[in-house]
Amino acid sequence: MTPARLVTLLACALVAAGTARAQDSQFGIVGLGTPGRWESGRARTGAGAFAAFDPASTVTETALAEIGSLSASVAEGATFRHLEGPGLSSWLRSTRYPLFAVGGPVSSGLFVGGGYSTYLDRSFEAVTRDSVVLRDAMEHFTDAIKSDGGVSDLRLAAAARLGSRVTLGVGLHLLAGSTRMTATRNFDDSTVYFTVQQAGTVRYAGLGVSGSVLLAVTPTVSLAGFARRDGHLSAYVADTLVTRSDLPATVGGALRWTPVANARLAGSVMWRSWSRTGPNAFDTFNWTAGLELGRAAPVRVGVRGGQLPFGATGSAPTEWGVAAGTGRVLANGRGFLDIGVERLARDGGGLRERLWTIVLGLTLRP
Amino acid sequence: MRRAARLAAIGLALSATACTEHLAAPGLCPTYCPSDSLAVRDTILRAAISRDTAYGRPYGYVNAASAPYLLADTVPGVRGSHPIFRTPPIGTRTLIGSDTTTGAVIGVDSLYLFLTIPQRDTATHDLAVALYELPHDIDSTTTFAALTAPFSAPPVRAVNVDTLLAQPGHKDPASGDSIIVDSTSTRITLALRLDSADAPYSTADSGTLAFGVRVSAAANAHVEFASSELSALGPRVNWYVKYDSLGIVAHKLIPVSLTGGRGFDGFVFDPPPPPLNGTLVVGSVPAARSVLRVTLPRAIRDSATIVRATLELIPAALPQGLAADSFDLVAQAVLADFGAKSPLDALHVDTTRIYIAPTDTVRVEVTNILRFWVSDTLIATTLVLRQAPEGADLAEIRFYPSSDPVRRPLLRVTYTPHFPFGRQ
Repeated sequence: MTPARLVTLLACALVAAGTARAQDSQFGIVGLGTPGRWESGRARTGAGAFAAFDPASTVTETALAEIGSLSASVAEGATFRHLEGPGLSSWLRSTRYPLFAVGGPVSSGLFVGGGYSTYLDRSFEAVTRDSVVLRDAMEHFTDAIKSDGGVSDLRLAAAARLGSRVTLGVGLHLLAGSTRMTATRNFDDSTVYFTVQQAGTVRYAGLGVSGSVLLAVTPTVSLAGFARRDGHLSAYVADTLVTRSDLPATVGGALRWTPVANARLAGSVMWRSWSRTGPNAFDTFNWTAGLELGRAAPVRVGVRGGQLPFGATGSAPTEWGVAAGTGRVLANGRGFLDIGVERLARDGGGLRERLWTIVLGLTLRP
Repeated sequence: MRRAARLAAIGLALSATACTEHLAAPGLCPTYCPSDSLAVRDTILRAAISRDTAYGRPYGYVNAASAPYLLADTVPGVRGSHPIFRTPPIGTRTLIGSDTTTGAVIGVDSLYLFLTIPQRDTATHDLAVALYELPHDIDSTTTFAALTAPFSAPPVRAVNVDTLLAQPGHKDPASGDSIIVDSTSTRITLALRLDSADAPYSTADSGTLAFGVRVSAAANAHVEFASSELSALGPRVNWYVKYDSLGIVAHKLIPVSLTGGRGFDGFVFDPPPPPLNGTLVVGSVPAARSVLRVTLPRAIRDSATIVRATLELIPAALPQGLAADSFDLVAQAVLADFGAKSPLDALHVDTTRIYIAPTDTVRVEVTNILRFWVSDTLIATTLVLRQAPEGADLAEIRFYPSSDPVRRPLLRVTYTPHFPFGRQ
């Protein structure tokens, strides 16, 4: 990889970072947002089971060591989400570009990478009906609180092979982003009470560091361990600090087994200390397992489960999902297209979310 | 075939993942709703209005000579008001052909006097209009008392409007008087046919005419005639003159109107309006206005959103006038505060209706104006109260000023403070 190519790809990543967001969720409204997945399109079609070993994903830095040459990956997800709750049933939809990653070898045994992924998604619009007594009369109104945006994780990572079995990686994470928020109140009696609409932009900033280790136990079994520590997320309105939230620590591990050349099995676990971020937050434990068959046009299936960090009923909402997909080599091996579908179920506090997500991933090797 | 299937698959994938966004959903509150919501506060600003004063007497913003209507009232024991007008001269000579040759005006064969009533008071029945000849020296300084003698003389013509309207074609074949009814509006025009005895041509005055109008009705008579200030609907005369056309007596139509400052029209009334007395006076003729300076708390002006704002005024006296005198009270922002001569902002206006009836508090919704002030914190926060239209009504209303600690003007404001964006 030449320096010019690296700079170009990093520049593309920074320009595109403004659109980096993952799946939205109503559960994120009561907390900092909905955490992103740090998974490439390829990893996501296997429910994220292979993410710790996927150089296009940003779960571990050590996965960069599996890049043969400079490559760049982008992911897209179109989600159709059904909400169900007491007196509530609604279909929502959104399209997101949750990840862009670029990386490659810089010298023998040394790899670097960069890109962005979604750290927190804060896009929602909550519409409510209520009333208030004004001037001795009951006035009914409709409120709409809308937030559009999120926090992106801009990562600079490096990995080094230490011998034939051990790879170490470190990463520096710049958390940045913004949300455009509007609060609107429409009174039913609009002839007397005027509509209120207030708008504001909230800017976010934060820092984090991460490290990972990849151990080739045998030629067919690999183990990965990773940890991450994020500092604080500062929220600014008009350059004034309005809130400062602690961010979670993350630890996890993953196992990959390749019993035969065309079959791979993987699984991972991840724990995050979200409870330190504020009220209505819980520590989360998530797991994944997946299978990949074939090489030129692989077929992947996976299953995942765990918790969401934010809920308002004394316990963390739960999440369970399955995914399946395939990939295709393009342009004589210079490109790789992955496509898949993901089904997720989230439950908590009387609210149910059912999601269908169509996932696209594209990897290029210029 | 395989290529087509591949293209179809790519197209399907692209359409399924095309950009789409719909995130509005009913909130499941309070469990899964934003912790903050818009707050609404309602407050009464008792000391927000100060430095208020009235202007407009003895010379008003609109006076009788410049009013859009000529007010005619006959309300025994209450008031009387008579329109008066003077037509411009038609000259002593007139063109007799297509060139510049002129001939002397010998006299008048007849003339039609047109008086337009833009809108009739439906409470006035059996309306009669009497025309009186007046001295030609009437002007804006002429008083009601000065015209007592002319209005005591027999009228030049008297016509009953209701009777005339009931005639076929709204025309009296005997007198030649008629009424032109505008089918597209409420407007009617009286066309009074006068002969040379009613309106003789005077060479000394070059054909100038001066008339006064007195109205009467079954009960309180109240009617407004259009003045020359109201478009082209003011009094006008069609002269049918006789002139010397190279030794032959010929006839010719010469139309004359008062528009463009030619001639004069106005009205005289009694009793005259009371002078300003420290209260906030609005209306009547000469038209009075009141200017109020408003000081909004910074928390409201700088960062709140006004939902509703009401100006509350307590009348210092009952509204004066007839039932038909009900008028619009307008609160209007100013472009700049120059006191009595503050230019008005035509875009930020709030209005309420004042009825001639006992009332304890007059409320004007001034939300438009306060939202404007909040949006531009450099603009002068001065309100002007005026009648609409000015000079069209002899009624007025007076409010207690801010110097009265108990009954001073109040501002009631409903607003939302700034939403706490960024809070978790």
